[in-house]
Amino acid sequence: MLILGIETAVEHVSVALADHRGTLATSLLASDRRHAESLVPMIQFVCAQAGINTKELDAIAVDTGPGLFTGMRVGIATAKSMAWALDIPVIPVCSLDILAQRVTRCDDIIAAALDARRGEVYWALYRPASDASPIVQRLTEPVVTVPDDLAALLNERAQMVVCVGSGIERYKDTIDFVSTAQCAGPAYAQPHAQELLIIAAQRAIREEWVSASDIEAMYLRAPDAEINWATRLTARDH
Amino acid sequence: MTTLATPNTVILGIETSCDETAASVVLGGNDVLSSVVSSQIDIHARFGGVVPEVASRAHLESIIPVVQEAVRLADIDPARIDAVAATVGPGLIGALLVGVSAAKALALVWDKPFIGVNHMEAHLYAGLLDDPTLQFPLVVLLVSGGHTMLVEMIDHGMYRLLGRTIDDAAGEAYDKVARYLDLGYPGGPAIDAAAEQGNPEAINFPRAMMHDGLNFSFSGLKTSVINYVRKNPNVSNIDVAASFQAAVVDVLVAKTIMAAQQVGATGVVLGGGVAANSRLRAQLQSQGQLNGLRVAVPSRAMCTDNAAMIAAAGWHRLGTNGPTAMSAGANPNLALPVVA
Repeated sequence: MLILGIETAVEHVSVALADHRGTLATSLLASDRRHAESLVPMIQFVCAQAGINTKELDAIAVDTGPGLFTGMRVGIATAKSMAWALDIPVIPVCSLDILAQRVTRCDDIIAAALDARRGEVYWALYRPASDASPIVQRLTEPVVTVPDDLAALLNERAQMVVCVGSGIERYKDTIDFVSTAQCAGPAYAQPHAQELLIIAAQRAIREEWVSASDIEAMYLRAPDAEINWATRLTARDH
Repeated sequence: MTTLATPNTVILGIETSCDETAASVVLGGNDVLSSVVSSQIDIHARFGGVVPEVASRAHLESIIPVVQEAVRLADIDPARIDAVAATVGPGLIGALLVGVSAAKALALVWDKPFIGVNHMEAHLYAGLLDDPTLQFPLVVLLVSGGHTMLVEMIDHGMYRLLGRTIDDAAGEAYDKVARYLDLGYPGGPAIDAAAEQGNPEAINFPRAMMHDGLNFSFSGLKTSVINYVRKNPNVSNIDVAASFQAAVVDVLVAKTIMAAQQVGATGVVLGGGVAANSRLRAQLQSQGQLNGLRVAVPSRAMCTDNAAMIAAAGWHRLGTNGPTAMSAGANPNLALPVVA
């Protein structure tokens, strides 16, 4: 099972290739805002490094958000188009799952949070990966809230928690108020295609995949125009 | 022409620059095998204009079904496709990137060239696609929600900008006036329909810069309409719409004819979303003929955003410039490449 992993939902763009033996090649670009320009050349690079033709791919895994709207659309449009042309399935993976998967050798729960800008974070809680279950288990549905809401929930649970992601790094002061929390550090602030493929490989075994036209982006936020429209309608109703 | 673009070359074109998701398969640069357009007009109507984030989300959902339908209708094996072209600008950045990403991904998997196409240049080719017997030099009047310009097509890939709007685009004026008169969205078809029942000579709105070079100005006209309606609250909407439309069309047609005479063009071509306007089509045809000019008024489907024109322009680009690098992105402000 040869899988290509595409990560463009955050500032860092990464691409990886893996089969049953594990990772074959990866490529990372840490400069912001070059997603559309860099992605296809990076796919060409990892395929060349691994000596693989794209026609040999069995599935494509892609981060479907939450994250940067334009960035994730670049990855999803690319994954959809490749999968359609190759007639292979797509494995959509949530950005927060990938982020949580970066935390290894952990006995506590994990809080994965990405910076959502506008003073908010995308976040979810996870049970860590273990020998018995090689991928993280989501405990709460992904949401977008102010970081105080995440801190309040963690305080309420009063359980040791490892906090990971750009949302934690950005609002460290808020998280520091949670006595049970420890931070994974800036090295793990962004999801990476390598962990995306660890999750995708497990899902592929169970054939948990979708066809190219069925992938949906997880935005968590409505477009501003729709929010304003809804506010207007509510105002008119009252 | 290199051997990359031949009469047998099949190009898949993709267009996502604004509010239409479109794909088309074109053979040899002018034989349209299929052209599919999925319009988002309905989802933007309540906002009274195109919302970039809403448009980008809709493109992502439609892109595969639209491409799939274009290939199916063309009745060809995807292996027969020789290159994939997509609009790289101008347009909405988030919207453009969906089409560019899809086109590059298909080119990668099929191991075929990718061609980045300028949306404005593609509009110039729409007329030729409709009537391949047209001879250069041609004058093209390009009118849409975002642009109003007169371009001389000297040859393939050789364009000269003769005139442009100094403020609002003609389509923008339509949208604003339609919104003011509460006629609906999009403004073009709404005013066109209302105007059909009104009297175009009811109100004498100003024809700005009518005899002053080849540039246009529409923002004053929009203001005159609003002022007139304020002063005459009982005026009939259909007469205002008809008189406004007459003023816009008079200027567009007069300047197009003037431009054609100045450069010695063999004919004039109409393009862009506003080219679907019935009065503009009729007036340009009659005035052109009166002045001994050949007038090409492409079908409404070819005037508005479509991917057949992207594939056709892509065919010419491939022949003259070769493939576009896979490291290309999109440019929301891409200008039409013009000669001095």
